[in-house]
Amino acid sequence: MSGDVNRQLSHMSEASSCYSDGNSSEDMDEDIDQYYMDTTDDLDLDCPSKTDDPEYFEYEPLQVMDAERLLNEEIEALCTKLKVSPSMAKMLLLRHNWQKEEIIENYQKDPSGFLIDSHLTSRRKHDNLIGPRPMCSVCCVNYPRDRFHGVTCGHMFCQDCWDMHFQTQIQDGITTAIECMAKECPVLVTEDFVCEVLTQPKLRDKYSKFSFNDLIKSHPKLRFCPGVDCAVIIKAKESKAKKVECQTCKASFCFRCGISYHAPTECDVIKRWLTKCEDDSETANYISAHTKDCPRCHVCIEKNGGCNHMQCPECKYDFCWMCLGDWKSHGSEYYECSRYKENPNIANESVHVQAREALKKYLFYYERWENHAKSLQLEETTTSKITTRTQEKVMNNQGTWIDWQYLLRAAALLKKCRYTLQYTYPYAYYMDKGSRKVLFEYQQAQLEAEVENLSWKVERAEITDRGDLENQMDVAEKRRQTLLKDFLEV
Amino acid sequence: MTTPARRRLMRDFKRLQEDPPSGVSGAPSDNNIMLWNAVIFGPHDTPFEDGTFKLTIEFTEEYPNKPPTVRFISKMFHPNVYADGSICLDILQNRWSPTYDVSAILTSIQSLLHDPNPNSPANNEAAQLYRENRREYEKKVAAIVQESWNDDDDEGEEDEEEEESKAGS
Repeated sequence: MSGDVNRQLSHMSEASSCYSDGNSSEDMDEDIDQYYMDTTDDLDLDCPSKTDDPEYFEYEPLQVMDAERLLNEEIEALCTKLKVSPSMAKMLLLRHNWQKEEIIENYQKDPSGFLIDSHLTSRRKHDNLIGPRPMCSVCCVNYPRDRFHGVTCGHMFCQDCWDMHFQTQIQDGITTAIECMAKECPVLVTEDFVCEVLTQPKLRDKYSKFSFNDLIKSHPKLRFCPGVDCAVIIKAKESKAKKVECQTCKASFCFRCGISYHAPTECDVIKRWLTKCEDDSETANYISAHTKDCPRCHVCIEKNGGCNHMQCPECKYDFCWMCLGDWKSHGSEYYECSRYKENPNIANESVHVQAREALKKYLFYYERWENHAKSLQLEETTTSKITTRTQEKVMNNQGTWIDWQYLLRAAALLKKCRYTLQYTYPYAYYMDKGSRKVLFEYQQAQLEAEVENLSWKVERAEITDRGDLENQMDVAEKRRQTLLKDFLEV
Repeated sequence: MTTPARRRLMRDFKRLQEDPPSGVSGAPSDNNIMLWNAVIFGPHDTPFEDGTFKLTIEFTEEYPNKPPTVRFISKMFHPNVYADGSICLDILQNRWSPTYDVSAILTSIQSLLHDPNPNSPANNEAAQLYRENRREYEKKVAAIVQESWNDDDDEGEEDEEEEESKAGS
């Protein structure tokens, strides 16, 4: 995948490297064309993937050192602009998500008000020290005045207590959010003060490590690669919900939210969907769809048979499932009850019906989502099967290794298409009714059909004509692109 | 051995004796300064009036940088008290400040009895009744107020209860 590396390192100038799969023959031709045409640069039209590919995204991997340098440059720029200390500038940037223009504007409008809102100073300067040997209100020991320290709010405590405070906070992983020790004082403690007070060098290292993490997390254009033990930081031009693939650990994820890439579904929607699938919110819906509370003791009862004469297992109360009235009054008038139910209980009933409907809808989408997830796992075995089969063929002198590479490409493309297809279901679930949903579901169905066709052909690759398979690949990818182009927020 | 936490707890105890807040009392247990027993009297003009509610306060060596664990030993019916007696109170969790002492903790819990917060319920039934059926809430509270006196009458039973709660914690 050398094309990918090129795309990241030199995204602007070399249009040819913008292709994500730069190894098909057509691309090669273009590469050659491009090579000779490059002298006539600045022709935007020669970068088709940039404008046409809805998933195109510019980013570059940074090492920790590079990221540190980048952050320090921004911090220094703000220092000189506002004439504040580096620790203060760091806190301001962190608390306002590195929106430098906004910070400068607000600070210049009302410096003290802005610092108060940012929890970096207090409205009035406190003075809690009395006499020449004041008592520290945390440890209750009297010390000479020079043993006392504090931040901008003026609350003073002895050196040992601050040290202890920082130790416990840092051990809990809190660094940039450490507050003054005084009760109900929200003023934050800045880095310079922490480092001045901390006695253990080990904790100082921990502090700088954790606070660096906080800085990166607050920066909209930087993101830690979520891969296991991967120290790479991805830098992008904009904070967008686009796919990033870490070259170091091969993890792929959404740049904006850091979880698995989820186009065409948006970040907040996929989060809602995943929590919905994880937690038992549907259990709650099930309960309201299939159960009612006993009208006497309020225990929850599930109706497990057809009979409407219910007896509460707890309090043995006999009642009617329809109207929740006493069963004794039923008997001969039972049929009246079943006719009656439309009137007094309709509000209640409709809630149950609604819940049942909601459950049905969720299960519909969830089933398909799950099904594609499972199929995706199965495609893994297809890939390994193809690899072994290719090896066998090459051993038997049936073509060379290169001749069979298109099969692996087909399997990879199938996975990519199925992946997108899987993530169309949460999108559809949360979509409002209307013509846009009709269009979406139409395109989804088209993609679904082509993906299944492709899957069928890949599994039977040996009896399928290569041209046919390549054609099918092209069709499926076109469908995927069309859907994303129309529905992926750019 | 004396540590910062133990020294501070001695100060807390001294302060509690010299300047006792009304309606609460507390003292370290006989052989362990890190474990305190306390009593909160139900505040006037609340359904808890006349109740004598026992609590335990458990400190760690990180006190006062970390809050202690406070738990009702007497049976409690309150929107912000869990079934095991532990208390949902901001100053005992995220709003803790090292400047709080035992006296401040006990008076805060006392005012929590006065002023429950039904929006962060630890006891759903109590929170719901507090919001929707105040009369029934007061009836349930009255029952645990009576139970709190029974604890006093029967010292042996109370000790047993304390033992149980320690084993459970």
